[in-house]
Amino acid sequence: MAVKVLVIGGGTGGTLAANLLAKEFAVEIADNDIQVALVTGSKFHVFQPGLLEVAFEGKAPDTIVREERPLVNRKVAYTEERVERIDLRKQEVLLASGQSLDYDYVIIATGSVPNPDSIPRLREASLNFHTSTDESLRIWHTLKQFEKGRVVVGIAGVPHKCPPSPNEATFLLDDYLRKTGKREHVSLTFLTPYPRPYPAEPLSKVVEPLLEKRGIEVVTFFNLESVDPRKKELYSLEGDTIGYDLLIMVPPHQGADVIVKSGLGDRDGWIPTDKQTLRINGYENAYAIGDCTNIPVSKTGVTAHLEAKVAVNNIVSSIKELGKLHKYTGRINCPFEVGSGKAAFVVGSYEMPVKQIEPTRMRQLMKKGFERVYWRSLSGSLDWLLDRYFGETDTTENMS
Amino acid sequence: MMEAQTIIKPETIVKPTIIDSRGTMCPGPITDLFRAYRNSNLGDVLELWATDPAAKSDVQTWAKRSGNELVSINDEKGYVRIQVRILRKGVSR
Ligand SMILES: Cc1cc2nc3c(=O)[nH]c(=O)nc-3n(C[C@H](O)[C@H](O)[C@H](O)COP(=O)(O)OP(=O)(O)OC[C@H]3O[C@@H](n4cnc5c(N)ncnc54)[C@H](O)[C@@H]3O)c2cc1C
Repeated sequence: MAVKVLVIGGGTGGTLAANLLAKEFAVEIADNDIQVALVTGSKFHVFQPGLLEVAFEGKAPDTIVREERPLVNRKVAYTEERVERIDLRKQEVLLASGQSLDYDYVIIATGSVPNPDSIPRLREASLNFHTSTDESLRIWHTLKQFEKGRVVVGIAGVPHKCPPSPNEATFLLDDYLRKTGKREHVSLTFLTPYPRPYPAEPLSKVVEPLLEKRGIEVVTFFNLESVDPRKKELYSLEGDTIGYDLLIMVPPHQGADVIVKSGLGDRDGWIPTDKQTLRINGYENAYAIGDCTNIPVSKTGVTAHLEAKVAVNNIVSSIKELGKLHKYTGRINCPFEVGSGKAAFVVGSYEMPVKQIEPTRMRQLMKKGFERVYWRSLSGSLDWLLDRYFGETDTTENMS
Repeated sequence: MMEAQTIIKPETIVKPTIIDSRGTMCPGPITDLFRAYRNSNLGDVLELWATDPAAKSDVQTWAKRSGNELVSINDEKGYVRIQVRILRKGVSR
């Protein structure tokens, strides 16, 4: 009987994991000794960093979306259906159609979802560039109509994916308002629950003077409690009130519905996962990667990519009895646009606190360049290049 | 603005809610604290355990700014224990 490896979720982490497994086990798959399967709930794959450009630069949404199937290696058994329940003890998942799939090894990569409903009236009050191309496009259309008043951009709750994205949105919005000559009639406020504009101090030191120079007001320690869309007011848990004319908040995120329903997550649906081996706590054959874990690193595509490699290497080691255990170093590397065609990067790991990196045009070009290579990076064929760029992202231990 | 009403007798002993953020770097500890703050009630004591050196000053500044009480800061072996009593938390209107 073939050894079955199942990947759940065809986003950044899951697609790469399935493709790497198909490459690793090409011979075994052909010989029917191993089956690699991917089950995913969506026909389409969104390059999520592009949601910022759709919202604040009017980029066409179809340029950041592709069909998932062609991104997946033909050797992968592909199923496009929502998973309803995951049973790690029985090693079985139940699909929406009622069909069930069993496995020997599983990688869960179901991502994270913004949950505006966790804050009273946030959904009706705020635009949002973290959900879909449609929602991002709604921001672009609204901005075109917006002439004057106070725009509040910020973080409605934590955690959320891509930590720099609320700051990036603010800078890109400022760029847009300046380019269109509306800036002098618009006041711009950045709202955050954190003590400073960017939570990690070294990068906040980079961002603070830029915000000041652009006349962007910063309100810190504002944990959003609720919104009154009629009065156009925001209320914080700390007891403060702020008014707005246009609101663009990043909602707090939670794990995917299936994780909550399957009882695999903590209160917010994050899967308790070993931050190095990426094994789900208590299981030798079950892994979680990307946004869906409770690992203390930022929820980014780069993280999902690097974690996919570690989980795949551990499964390969186990099946081929190589006696090696791969461990993720917590390496993060997230671009951080600061407007005017410049970007910094958020770089760190479990052992290395985030560094102070100055924004440059070159770094912005690197960010834009990545957009072009993203689709190819999902096949794993660019890892020789990415490995050089990232340096050591995992360590290997001999188990014997 | 809504004022939070709190009457907490000093002799009231509340079992702290432990938030173990050891091993997480900024913004891990303060993120975990805010998640707990969201789910807390007035009078609750939140106890944050952190290895991140930024946690001490971040929590101190937040407590001061938000009107919550910094009960104690204790340096343990390799980590810090910070207790905050929730005295102020806006109420949904
Ligand atoms: C505005 C914005 C900007 C960003 N910018 C950057 C950036 O510059 N750099 C960066 O590295 N990251 C960035 N990110 C973050 C990055 O996109 C995510 O962190 C990354 O996509 C996470 O990968 P993942 O595989 O964990 O989840 P996802 O890519 O979100 O994929 C999850 C998959 O699981 C599937 N799924 C969920 N539930 C089920 C179910 N029940 N059954 C079957 N399938 C299911 C979904 O359909 C989806 O295919 C940004 C995100 C946003 C929103």
